[in-house]
Amino acid sequence: MATTRSWKKHAMLLAFVFPALLFYIAFTLAPAFGGIAYSLTDWNGLNPAYRIVGLANYIEAMNDRFFLKSLAFTAKFVLYMLVLQNALAILLAVLVEAMGRSKVWFRTIFFMPNMLSLIIGGFMWMFIFTRVFPYLADQTGWRLLDQSWIGDPRYSFFAILALSLWGGVGYLMVIYIAALQGVPQHLKEAAAMDGAGPLAIFRHVTLPMIYPALTIGVFLTLNASFKAFDAVYSLTGGGPGRATQVIALNIFEEAFSFSNRYGYASAKAMILFGIVVVITIIQLAIMKRREVQA
Amino acid sequence: MNRLGGRLGSWTALLFLLAAAVVTLFPIYMALLNSVKTQGEMLTNILALPSSLEVGNYADAFRKINYFRSLWNTFVVVAVGLAGIILFASMAGYKLSRTPGKLSGFLFGLLVMSTLIPFHSIMITLVKISKELRLQGSAVGLGLLYIGLGVAVAVFLYHGFVKSVPKELDEAAVIDGCGEFRLFFTVILPLLLPITATIAILNTLWMWNDFLLPLLILTDYKSYTLLLSTNMLFGEYNNDWSAILASLVLAMLPVIALYLALQKYILHGIAEGAIKA
Repeated sequence: MATTRSWKKHAMLLAFVFPALLFYIAFTLAPAFGGIAYSLTDWNGLNPAYRIVGLANYIEAMNDRFFLKSLAFTAKFVLYMLVLQNALAILLAVLVEAMGRSKVWFRTIFFMPNMLSLIIGGFMWMFIFTRVFPYLADQTGWRLLDQSWIGDPRYSFFAILALSLWGGVGYLMVIYIAALQGVPQHLKEAAAMDGAGPLAIFRHVTLPMIYPALTIGVFLTLNASFKAFDAVYSLTGGGPGRATQVIALNIFEEAFSFSNRYGYASAKAMILFGIVVVITIIQLAIMKRREVQA
Repeated sequence: MNRLGGRLGSWTALLFLLAAAVVTLFPIYMALLNSVKTQGEMLTNILALPSSLEVGNYADAFRKINYFRSLWNTFVVVAVGLAGIILFASMAGYKLSRTPGKLSGFLFGLLVMSTLIPFHSIMITLVKISKELRLQGSAVGLGLLYIGLGVAVAVFLYHGFVKSVPKELDEAAVIDGCGEFRLFFTVILPLLLPITATIAILNTLWMWNDFLLPLLILTDYKSYTLLLSTNMLFGEYNNDWSAILASLVLAMLPVIALYLALQKYILHGIAEGAIKA
C-alpha cells in the first residue's frame, strides 16, 4: 500500500515536471554536454565526418593570438563596466530618491534604454558618433568630439563603453532604488542628529545597508559584460580588424563566419563557461561570508 | 549655513540629473528628429527641427523592413515562448515545491544548474539540434527554443513563490475529490498571478530584445523579427540614414509604448526578478 502511494506520488511529480524537463534537456542540457563533446573533435560543420583530437583545440586556443586578445579586451571592458556602471547607478539612485515629485519622471527616463535592444541602441549611437558628433565639432570647434569614434580602436572602446552604460545603468539603478527604500529613515535621522553630514551618512549608514544590492549589482554586471555581444556587434562589428573583438564575438565568428570550425569554437566556448563558473563560485563565497557577518 | 548648503546641494543634484536625462534621451531624440528630414537637410542642419515632415522616409522604411510581417514574427516568437515557459514552469515549480524527497531535489538541482551556463557555450550545438529538428527558419521554432532556454529560471521563481501558498488549499481540494491537474489549473495557478506577471515581463523583454539566437536560427528572411530586419537594412543601406532612423523608430515604437503604459509593473518586476534570481 505504502509503495503504491509513493509510486503514485513520484509518477505525479514526473507528469508535472516532464514538459519543462523535456524542453530544458533538449535545448539547454543536451547542447551543453554536446558542446563539451564537440570541443574535443575537429568537427567543422560542413564535413559530416570528424575525429577526436583530445585537448588539441584547447591548446590551440591558448596560443590563438586573436582569442587571447579578445580575452584581454573583454577583461578590460568588464573592469570598466564594473566600476562605472555600479558607481553611476548608485549615484543616480541616491539622487533620484532625494527628489520630490520629479522622482518618477527621472526613473522612467533613466530606465528607458533598458527596454531597447542594444542593436537598436547601437545603431542610434552610431548615428550620434558618425554624424552628430562631427557636425557638433564643426559648429563649435570642439576638437574632442571630432574623433574617429568607430574606426579607431582607442576611441571605439569608449564608444562601446558609452553605449553599454547607456543601456545598462538604468537596470542597476532600479535595483539600488529598491535597496535604498529599505534603509530605515530613522537611522539616517539619528546620524544627522549626531551631526553627520550627507556624505558621512551615505558612507556609514546607507552604503552598509545596501551591501546586498551591491553584491547583486556586481554579479549582474560581471555576468552581462563577460558575455557582451550586441553592443560590439552593432557598433564596430569587432573592428577595425579584430581590435574590439569580445570573447562572444570571437566564438561567433570562429563558428559561423570565418572558418566554420565548430569543434574549435566549442573549445573556446567551454573556456568562457569555465571563466563564468569560477567568477560565480568566488561571488557566491563572498556573498555567503557577508551574510554570516551580517 | 547647513540649510543653505542643503539647498545648494539639491540644486546641484537636480542639475546633474537633468544633464543625465538629456544624455539618456539624446540618441532617441536625434533618431526621432532626423527620421523626418531629407538626407540633404540632415547634412546641413542635424540639430534643428525639420523644415518639413518627410513622411516618405517612413513609407520607405515600412517597405524595406517589411514592418508588419517582422512585427508579427516577433510577436509569434514571444507568444510561443511565453506560453510554454509559463505553463510548463508553473506546473514544474509547483509540484517540485510540494513534493519533498530525493527525486524532487535531484530534478530541481538539475534545472537550477543551468543558470550558470552562458548562452555562447551552448549556441553552436543548439544550432545543430535545431537544424536536425527542422526548427531553423521558423518563428514558432525559435519560440520553442526559448522555452528550453528560459524555463529553468522560471521554475526557480515559481518554486520559491509556491511556498507562500497555503498547503491546506491542496488538501481541501483533494478531499473534495478534485484531480491533481484540475486542482492545479483551477485553484493554484490563479494564486500564482503575481509571480506570473514578473516572469511574463522578464521573459517578454528578453525574447523581444534578444538578437544572437534569432540571427542564428531565423535563416529565412520571411521569418525575420524586427531586430533582424533592422539589422539587415543597416547592412544593406548603411548610408541611407533616413530609412535607417525611420526603421529604428518603428522598431522602438511597440516597446516604448508598452513601457510607458505598464512601467509601474515593469520596474517592479525587474527589481523583484533581480533580487530573487
